[in-house]
Amino acid sequence: MSKEPTGFKSWLFTTDHKKIGIMYLFTSMVFFVVGLLLAIVMRTEMLDQTRQVIIDAKLYNVAFTIHGAAMVLFWMIPILLGFFANYLIPLMIGAHDVAFPRLNALAYWLYVGAGLIAVCALILPGRLDIGWTGYPPYSIVGGANTAFYVFAVHLLGASSIAGAVNFITTIITLRAPGMTWGRLNLTVWGLFGAFIIQLVGIPVLAAAVTLLLFDKYLGTSFYDSFKGGNPILYEHLFWFYGHPAVYVVALPVFGIVSDIISTFARKKIYGYTSMVIAIMIITVLGFETWVHHLYVAGTLDWVRVLFMWGTILIAVPTGIKVFNWLATLHKGSIELTAPMLYALGFISLFTIGGVTGIANGLLGFDIHVHDTHWVVAHFHYVLALSMSMLCLGGIYYWFPKFTGKMYNDGLAKFAFWLTLIGAMIAFLPQFQLGYDGIPRRYWKLPVEYTTHMRIASIFSYIAILGFFLTIYNFIHSAIKGAPAPANPWGSRSLEWQIPSPPPFYNFDEIPVITEGPYEYGKPK
Amino acid sequence: MLRTFLSSLLTMFYILAPYVAVAAREASDPVDGWNRHFKVWLVVSAVIYLVVTIPLVYFVIRYKRRSKNEEGAYIEGNVGLEILWTVIPLVVTILLGTQSWALFNDYRKTPKDAFEARVIASMYKFEMISPEGIHTTNELRVPVGHVKLTMTSTDVTHDFAVPTFRVREDTVPGQTTHLWFNAKTPGTYPAYCAEFCGSGHSRMLAKVIVMPKEEYAKWARENSAGEAANIAPEEKGKKLTENLGCTGCHTITGESATGPTFKGLMGSSVTLIDGKTLTADDAFIKTKIKDPKSMQVKGFDLPMPPNNLSDAEIEAITAYLKTLR
Repeated sequence: MSKEPTGFKSWLFTTDHKKIGIMYLFTSMVFFVVGLLLAIVMRTEMLDQTRQVIIDAKLYNVAFTIHGAAMVLFWMIPILLGFFANYLIPLMIGAHDVAFPRLNALAYWLYVGAGLIAVCALILPGRLDIGWTGYPPYSIVGGANTAFYVFAVHLLGASSIAGAVNFITTIITLRAPGMTWGRLNLTVWGLFGAFIIQLVGIPVLAAAVTLLLFDKYLGTSFYDSFKGGNPILYEHLFWFYGHPAVYVVALPVFGIVSDIISTFARKKIYGYTSMVIAIMIITVLGFETWVHHLYVAGTLDWVRVLFMWGTILIAVPTGIKVFNWLATLHKGSIELTAPMLYALGFISLFTIGGVTGIANGLLGFDIHVHDTHWVVAHFHYVLALSMSMLCLGGIYYWFPKFTGKMYNDGLAKFAFWLTLIGAMIAFLPQFQLGYDGIPRRYWKLPVEYTTHMRIASIFSYIAILGFFLTIYNFIHSAIKGAPAPANPWGSRSLEWQIPSPPPFYNFDEIPVITEGPYEYGKPK
Repeated sequence: MLRTFLSSLLTMFYILAPYVAVAAREASDPVDGWNRHFKVWLVVSAVIYLVVTIPLVYFVIRYKRRSKNEEGAYIEGNVGLEILWTVIPLVVTILLGTQSWALFNDYRKTPKDAFEARVIASMYKFEMISPEGIHTTNELRVPVGHVKLTMTSTDVTHDFAVPTFRVREDTVPGQTTHLWFNAKTPGTYPAYCAEFCGSGHSRMLAKVIVMPKEEYAKWARENSAGEAANIAPEEKGKKLTENLGCTGCHTITGESATGPTFKGLMGSSVTLIDGKTLTADDAFIKTKIKDPKSMQVKGFDLPMPPNNLSDAEIEAITAYLKTLR
């Protein structure tokens, strides 16, 4: 076994899954901050509905385009499938590294390349103002430099496919002796489902945006009705991946919630098998939902009905997960640490996001709220509030493991409540706007909603302050935090049984696994 | 076994009853259906939320860790409970879905007596065409009663949304979509573009003006009669070709562009791509406008985009073309 290299070059040329994981963490955090700053800009513009506050309509469109792309494509997916997957999978399955370490490094650098293009799309002329969905014909006939969008998606897609191939192989082939499929952490199961979705979905997205590129720059007419194409085709291809992408985020998050709850309730995950089955059902059923984004796009009536069933049936496996979490808490020994607060907050907020999601999925209901602020409120509850916050909770949970330091507990809890209360109230008024049928992506809304939007803006500032305090806590504690013991939570999971931070190559000797990660309170 | 089978049959019947009932009768007003659907959803959601959060808070308080090394009880799970919280949500979901399906049927089943108008969206305005052929911009005038809109777009995808009537549908370039609503009470209702379409998106607003039947008839008479009296069909045709963008492809100067020039077209002989030669007379022009894909003229490979012109408008355009000798 070779010695661990140090210095700047050791990061630049590393193929170590832990270092690559940390680099994913840094880079995705940068995009999280970019997304938050753009959110501040948009919320400030919303303070007044009668005049321009800081930016005009065109720049507002650029702001929500890059905000969406940064948050979904460059923060949520990379933090989960980049950072958590890289850092945790080899530790949790008992492996020295991933199956293809160099492919892993390539995936990271492709992601950085895509990120640079995204930054160009924000600052160079021909700024992207096409929405993160990039619907034609507007993305073709408008003035935006759609090539930014296409090439960013291409690089990101190549990165994701490389990651998916790598980790699916790693999980299948590199499990330690005795690490059966029934002894995997649910985080690993969630990531496994997410990578399968990536592998199936991304090529379709890549094809969709490639045709966009041809239409815009080579004069083809895949999406031009007047020349025999069809703009709705793009919407189908985009959402074939675009909707399952939500489950790419959700499945690992579900896994992390399970791990946190089990650890801090010191109790075995209730109904492990049905949790795994639920993950796999969502992986498959996630591909039978995409047409709900086209409920009012002139889609054939029976197709809309068919996909309504696919969409709302997702509620069943999701419900199974929530009830099993509750059952895990029952008769546990619960400690309210910062990660646990995030996990419990997740369950409560995700339920709001979930039931409003059923509303969107219900075909008749959606015909009134489609493309309104209702949708904005819904997906911010699901993604921004519950899942994005849970990612921060996950970072807190494994913070002692990957830094070897303890975080500031008081600040962590204070920032949690600030974000929770701020974001919770910020998106409530938008349900009212959606109920009234007010469309989203409007630079200026009807003046009667001025108060609604001001309340939303003020509380969103509070939430963002909470996010910034959390990020400050991460940075400060990573440098100045007290040294952490190897296993501060008393967890039974494999990654906590080695020193913090883990040594180079993780395990001196590949361990032999004799029981699962959740065996708390087992009678001797 | 038989009992299970019969009871599931009964359950299926209950679940599908609302859908079947709607399929058999005339559609009712989707606004009432939507409001009812919303209330059902709200109650179900509130119950779900309480079912999740009350035990959550209770367990956190009740099972707080009391000593440092305390561990929870060792419980693997319970198959009965798993089945319970699979089946109950499944039934609730199916009930909600069936209600939604029934409501959707109302949305898509246009009453036969509907007043039919057309909407043509473009960046950033809605052009409305009444059945009498009156063109208005950002202002849809309809008589009280059922209204059907047939919609399209000329550039990018837009959406015509009228929140008061709980209805919206995208307007897609080169395709037609439709929706209907019940304009019960006279009044002015806001309409919005609800599909992102560029920097003017938030200014793309319109009004639906619902008028009592007699008032509408008066308005229609005044506007179309005024047009007939003051404007000759040739003038009306000229205006139409300019407003609808025909002249973007068909010049009136004699040069060929994307399409054949209008100048001297009437009465000339044209060669089609299948080699046939015929005279461009009234019948040819009318057929060509009604079905742009038919009779493609040699030398021009792009078919004309579809349109929504009425017979009177096509008549006017034909009359106008005759003046371009």
